[in-house]
Amino acid sequence: MTGVPLEAIRDSFEGIMPSVIATTDASGIPNLSYLSHVYYVDSHHVALSNQFFSKTAANVAANGRATVVVLDGRMGLQHVLDLVFVSSSRSGPIFDRISAQLDVMASLQGKSHMLKLRAVDIYRVERCRRIDPVAPIETAPENPVVARDWLAEAAAATAELSAIADPETLLDRSLETLEERCGFRHSMILVADGEGRKLSTVASRGYPRYGFGAEIAFGDGIIGVAAERGLTLRIADMRRSQRYVSAVALAAGLNRDDIPMPAIEQVQCQIAVPLIASGRLSGVVFAESEESFAFSHAHEAALEIIARQIAAGLAIFELADAASDAAGRGVAPVSSADKGQAFSFQYFPRDGGVFIDNDYVIRGVPGRLLYHFVRSYVETGRAEFSNREIRRDRTFNLPDFKDNLETRLILLRRRLEERGGPIGIERPERGQIRLVIDGTPQIAVMEDA
Amino acid sequence: MLEDDVASFIAGNVMMIAATRDGALRAHVGRGCGAYFDADTGELVLLVSSSQWPDFFANARKGGPIAMTVCQPDNYRALQIKGTIAGVDVATEVQSAKASDYRDRMLAIMDRLGVSRLQLSTVFSNVDLAAIRFWPVDLFIQTPGPEAGERVQRSQS
Repeated sequence: MTGVPLEAIRDSFEGIMPSVIATTDASGIPNLSYLSHVYYVDSHHVALSNQFFSKTAANVAANGRATVVVLDGRMGLQHVLDLVFVSSSRSGPIFDRISAQLDVMASLQGKSHMLKLRAVDIYRVERCRRIDPVAPIETAPENPVVARDWLAEAAAATAELSAIADPETLLDRSLETLEERCGFRHSMILVADGEGRKLSTVASRGYPRYGFGAEIAFGDGIIGVAAERGLTLRIADMRRSQRYVSAVALAAGLNRDDIPMPAIEQVQCQIAVPLIASGRLSGVVFAESEESFAFSHAHEAALEIIARQIAAGLAIFELADAASDAAGRGVAPVSSADKGQAFSFQYFPRDGGVFIDNDYVIRGVPGRLLYHFVRSYVETGRAEFSNREIRRDRTFNLPDFKDNLETRLILLRRRLEERGGPIGIERPERGQIRLVIDGTPQIAVMEDA
Repeated sequence: MLEDDVASFIAGNVMMIAATRDGALRAHVGRGCGAYFDADTGELVLLVSSSQWPDFFANARKGGPIAMTVCQPDNYRALQIKGTIAGVDVATEVQSAKASDYRDRMLAIMDRLGVSRLQLSTVFSNVDLAAIRFWPVDLFIQTPGPEAGERVQRSQS
């Protein structure tokens, strides 16, 4: 039995100050330790990470009991949990999630593996009781702000997003909706490369610049770990971190200026939710805030619901596009005669990297697509292409309909637009691509970088 | 006897938690509002609100075991001291003044770390203040990391 429902104090589990765990050994000598997190499992159970608590672990093994004190980061209230040990686990969903969380925290502190999770201990909560404030230093407002109905907000958001009929609108409207309904003011969507190596920013909101095409490697930072492990991750308070480690992945072997990630200063709170539909990861939706504890578990649940709608929507658009016959009809030759000033167009087959006038543009599948378009334009004068012919062209190595082709074309178009001339992409109609070039590209294929 | 650096660490700007236990070996936690080393008696003195932490206080009895962990909030450097309770008294005026001074200092420090008075409204409680004296028997490193829980090796004096 618990006096206070655990659901009522979930915000305390990631408190502004570490929680406290107390145990006793067989002879009755107490032991104390600080805990960074108490993890909610269900209404009667919590999980504690077992990293360095050797004495705590020994005591629990001896008598199966622990006492935990948690502190609410908003109201300053404290609660005591009387715990009874149930089991210890070195695998499974709870272990994976806590492990991922610790790995991200460690990487932020530049101490990879310092927080390596050994085991997760599951405890039954025998009793949860409030520590009534005695002469508190400060009291909470009489009428605290009524909690938002997150379920209703998520329902309204998914209803709106499910009515959208094209992927580009879905991407942008998703981020707008996240701000309007959930208060996520700084957010972005990154699309996975399909090879499990990197993610590229395809939509962003609330930053000084869009950063389309900015990359993060799988496993790198909160976004990369969320993608790699298919898990939602949230860091409530980054003040605990010693420094903020840029998660931008650098390509090995090429001296290039990568596109910087959209960023805010003084970030305190972050959340990353994988976009998964039919068991397949298509990307990550990410949000951050300058306020610590800005995102609660309720924000997390709402974002997960909305993220699943985004992922499902993107998957449906890809399927519809792949099944469509709206293709291959508009091959309109245009003159390849001199159309103005020449510019260099360097292509690196090794990674699909494209440089224009020695400035990095993009790489991966979007880079290969761009090279294909420009080369065709130079060789044949073609400026119009179709999704269908791209899918049939094996040189792109697109895995049938699960290729995120539309999303990659959106990324390419946006990157070129944000960069500004001399090359652009237009979408005259569904499944069609039009190359717009101002000048004369001088193509150079760079076999060895 | 505690070495000077440990004694000054405990009396410094550190958060403090302590635990006693009941007859069923269930631990009870209290948060301290100041602590210091009494060189005359060789005892540590922990100041704690008896009404804010009634279960902890009820089990703080002469001859009973106690553990206290002190932690520097800006870097998590922490020590745990274990010992046997030598006595429990109502705090004197001097001890109450020490607790008030401690509370004011810690609130200012925590404010600089971004933790508000509201968030700490029941942490640094100094009402119905008790002074728990205990003889330090064991000292452990409690800073999070691989060394957490290791006994501090004292130099020969």
